[in-house]
Amino acid sequence: MSAYALNKLLREVNRDPGTRERFFKDAAAVAAGYELSDEERRAVLARDVTALYRLGVHGLILRPFTILHQMPEPDYLEAIRR
Amino acid sequence: MAIVFACAGSHAPGIRAWTERAPQQQIDNLFGGYAAVRQGLEGARPDLVLLLTSEHWANFFEHVGAFCVGRGASFEGPIEPWLRVENATVKGNPGFATRLLDHCYGNGFELSFSHEMKFDHGSMVPLSFLTPQMNVSVVPIMFNALSTPRPTSARCLALGRALRPLLDQAPERIAVIATGGLSHDPGERNHGIIDTDFDARFIADMTSADPERLARYSDADLLKAGAGTLELLAWICLAGIMGRQKARLVAYEAVVPWATGMGIVSYDRAA
Repeated sequence: MSAYALNKLLREVNRDPGTRERFFKDAAAVAAGYELSDEERRAVLARDVTALYRLGVHGLILRPFTILHQMPEPDYLEAIRR
Repeated sequence: MAIVFACAGSHAPGIRAWTERAPQQQIDNLFGGYAAVRQGLEGARPDLVLLLTSEHWANFFEHVGAFCVGRGASFEGPIEPWLRVENATVKGNPGFATRLLDHCYGNGFELSFSHEMKFDHGSMVPLSFLTPQMNVSVVPIMFNALSTPRPTSARCLALGRALRPLLDQAPERIAVIATGGLSHDPGERNHGIIDTDFDARFIADMTSADPERLARYSDADLLKAGAGTLELLAWICLAGIMGRQKARLVAYEAVVPWATGMGIVSYDRAA
């Protein structure tokens, strides 16, 4: 898949409780373990959903990731359709 | 005849995670449908569930196979802390999983297998409705309905046909549950748009007792109704298992707040 490392990071946050806990405490430290482009790293740390979607995060990774951030569905859809 | 029960049903997480956003009539129809099917399953006293379910990146990522058999002694789920389905450890059946693999390898299907499969909503939602005590052991076959290239409908139908003799000869009483679909585009731009015409067509074919009709759905046909619609590959496999036996529509609702065409079908005469 495109944006492989980016998807991998977000997927680990979704599925692994330990990674999730570390990510919510210090996202930059967790993201440092993944080979992301500068643009990808910025989008993750800013939780920029529009950018994450455009960079190629899969919907079934991005929507669960944003649910963990309590992002309401209309806001999510507005962000990915932007 | 060791298939004692068979059904298919949708597993969109909203049915558990945000149930109350749907109109009450739709909730009642679907919960009532699952309750009726559960009664059938319990009456059939299965020893194990063969669960035909679909991946959402809980297991496949670094490695992706077309079909993957869960060979572990147990499965933990759900991985989603927000699903509102209680965490559970569901027992597997490594002996049956191994027999299934041996049978498939001898019949032209080299399935992959996993010793550490985790369950997400795709397995935990149907189990929460059909075996809510989580006391029936489960052998899952995880379908790659996500990543291209994906298995074809014809191949899934053929897998079902190949499985049938194994299930007929198994000493266990087996409940076959397929799960996924129908029209939905989860997390993507058409999230919330449900192609009800597609769903009506698919359900008509699924309940026609003519499984060949299901082999005609191309990847593009399914994808057009939303990326999640590919999960119907598991239903098509079930149709291959059940052959000319007729399935019956139990319930269908296009539930916009759950962003999914939600359907349940069951086979009155399992074997």
